[in-house]
Amino acid sequence: MNAFITGAAGGLGRAMAVECAQRGYHLFLTDVNPAGLIHLQQGLERRFGVTVAVRTCDLTDSADVDSMLSVIDQNSLKFELLLNIAGLDFEGGFLEREREKLVKIVTLNNAATLRITHAILERRRENRRFTAVFVSSLASMFPMPLKATYAASKRFLLDFACALRQELKGRNTNVLALCPGGLVTTESAMEGIAAQGFWGNATTNPIETVARKTLDRAFTGKALYIPGLLNRTLSFFGKLLPRTVVAKAVYSRWHKAQSQRETL
Amino acid sequence: MKTVIITGATSGIGLETVRLLTNRGYRVLGVGHSGKNCFRAEQELLTVNPNAQIAFYSADLMQQRQVLRVVEELSVELDKTGGELHALINNAGAVRSWYTTTEEGYEQQFALNHLAGFLLTAKLLPYLQKGKGRVIMTGSGSHKGIKIHWDDVMLRRGYNPLTAYKQSKLCNILFAKGLSDRNLGIHSYTVDPGLVKTDIGNKQTGGFVNLIWSMRKRSGVTPEIPAKTYLYLCEQDPAPTGLYYHYKLSRRPPICEIPYSKQVTSENATRLFTLSEKLCGIEFETTLSERKAVS
Repeated sequence: MNAFITGAAGGLGRAMAVECAQRGYHLFLTDVNPAGLIHLQQGLERRFGVTVAVRTCDLTDSADVDSMLSVIDQNSLKFELLLNIAGLDFEGGFLEREREKLVKIVTLNNAATLRITHAILERRRENRRFTAVFVSSLASMFPMPLKATYAASKRFLLDFACALRQELKGRNTNVLALCPGGLVTTESAMEGIAAQGFWGNATTNPIETVARKTLDRAFTGKALYIPGLLNRTLSFFGKLLPRTVVAKAVYSRWHKAQSQRETL
Repeated sequence: MKTVIITGATSGIGLETVRLLTNRGYRVLGVGHSGKNCFRAEQELLTVNPNAQIAFYSADLMQQRQVLRVVEELSVELDKTGGELHALINNAGAVRSWYTTTEEGYEQQFALNHLAGFLLTAKLLPYLQKGKGRVIMTGSGSHKGIKIHWDDVMLRRGYNPLTAYKQSKLCNILFAKGLSDRNLGIHSYTVDPGLVKTDIGNKQTGGFVNLIWSMRKRSGVTPEIPAKTYLYLCEQDPAPTGLYYHYKLSRRPPICEIPYSKQVTSENATRLFTLSEKLCGIEFETTLSERKAVS
């Protein structure tokens, strides 16, 4: 069993890689951070004895992706599992961010994810069940001022995953969208969650549990996984309220959190 | 002049121990988490004692590549002065409120509180053997009442900060036990510092851990108390033979051996040793034979 994981050297990607390795998957990991990949490879091979291949790749660069795919084809690798984890955000007001950075959010979170999904689906192992996971976000449930581009890019993934799942249903495939709240992935994520106070802590999910349950649900054919009861409740009410009202509420929360963070 | 290496040297128990050791004329090589903290600690120590023989090295020891890098730097310094290491104090430790991982995908408390010291000791073993040295771990009384979760040592199921901390402290004393079982020509100890007023529970924790520790540490002793225990274990000649030491204010003499968990058996120590070798990608024996080959 082979799994392909993007953004593998980061927090959630790394947790997913550990989860897959523990389940006995051999792994093909990619990330923009070469040192992170090599050390994760060592850690996984020592701990679980699975085969781990790594390749540094900028998924927004189609030539780089093509050259990675040619390595995969030279080794005739085929996959049963695809985890689209790579994604990024530059938080803050739309006009306060650099134009190219804003575009980069969509280029990576959406365009690159489509590129990889198409490529790996073409390289799925025949006659075996295939599973794809997209990392959307709790942010995809609402219009989110101050995270407008990010939230919309995650909405794209949510809707895309749902539609793709339907398209591929007859082909022994399941597609799941994961919509986590906060995850403690980096030191700055930890600070960010602390700055949001109660709501930060309450909407944060334990990363190791999210990793395990995501795969459990993806393999049992689920379409969507929102970790945490509070997050599920929030997303439910988010659907009931008019979107302009939600936007207003979200703005007041994020605005407060960000100004607190700046004063820290 | 005898050389002592100590990790987590820029604050809390570590910094106090550096102060005591340098006052007694030891040369101390301290390892700290950040360059900024190292600089501050060095300035602070030199202001009080301008003759202190100290040098600081910064490394984020939970990342194995940084352990290996700092070993190279420390080796250069040790080689300059005959290559004898009198003591290695594996003191760096942390608490994490959430399950977080290192570059290798290892849980951070296990990686820093145990594996970092294991790897550092393995790499510095030739110097320790040359100096007939001592390895001292910073343990904790909280290691009692817990077993190693052998089937899930990184605690991915039901992660709890306190469980992870307690287990890592049990690892410390098991490692000391494993070292002494192996007859490597060095001595190994674990210090129970007791409850000490340090910031360990406030660094990068947040939430409940931060709050509880802020209240709890008020009833702790100042770091000078446990620092005396480290000094004692460095100074005694011949080297003490016990495994687990504590400074008890009510006792005369105050530094004494105290009981430890029944989980500290040779069998568990060997099991942890083997697992740690695997997770660090090293073998202690190889380190030994390499040394023989070199000399």
